[in-house]
Amino acid sequence: MNWFGLSFGIVTLFIIGLGFIWVIRGERYFGYLWWPYVMGAGALCVIGSLFISNNWGSGLLGAFGASLLWGSTELKEQAIRAELGWYPFWDRKILPPFADIIKKWKAPNL
Amino acid sequence: MEINWIGLASAAATFLGVWIGHVSVRKIEREVERLWMPSALAFFLGIGLELASFRTSSLVLSAICGILGVTFLWDALELYRQQNRIKEGHAPANPNNLRHAKILATYPTATMFDWLASNPRGFPYSSDELNAKKERSA
Repeated sequence: MNWFGLSFGIVTLFIIGLGFIWVIRGERYFGYLWWPYVMGAGALCVIGSLFISNNWGSGLLGAFGASLLWGSTELKEQAIRAELGWYPFWDRKILPPFADIIKKWKAPNL
Repeated sequence: MEINWIGLASAAATFLGVWIGHVSVRKIEREVERLWMPSALAFFLGIGLELASFRTSSLVLSAICGILGVTFLWDALELYRQQNRIKEGHAPANPNNLRHAKILATYPTATMFDWLASNPRGFPYSSDELNAKKERSA
């Protein structure tokens, strides 16, 4: 019996669940225009995981990076949900550097 | 330095599991009338993947099966959560699906309008604007 996969799957489920929370909170206080930075951080986590020799450390960093990558594609839709009143709207958002440029890019949404 | 592939494998399984689940739950819930069937299928697929993760000695394969299995188990539940979104009108109902037609007739909040098919505009909608948006779509 190899328990690695199941225990890993359960921890990953919590990492994904954490994604719901930070996407909602992050969009509320910072806005969806942070998505390229979140995407970059996710990619760095996944690349970094290649160089961690500890199996749990590498796996967790990889799964966390994937949830950052996924979350970056969810931020735009979350921004619409808040504007529709499905979530509280906060109007003093802390915008990212180069927000004006990012605004011209098409935000990913899978 | 030795490259550790477990992180990349976990990342791929997590991202693909979430992506496949996200797209297929919405699609399948929209088309299928008897929801318990795809839900049971996702459940048994999830259990099967977890059993496979027990049997393999490879840590990479075990992690992939373990993660994909858990996301399939979650999808079995998510199909019903998606049905609740249809009832609330947070996802568009499909009038050609008998189950959705019943929901449309029973729940005043249910709608065929896709609220999320737009872009953020930077400030919230007033209730008048929301009503106008919904009426224009009807």
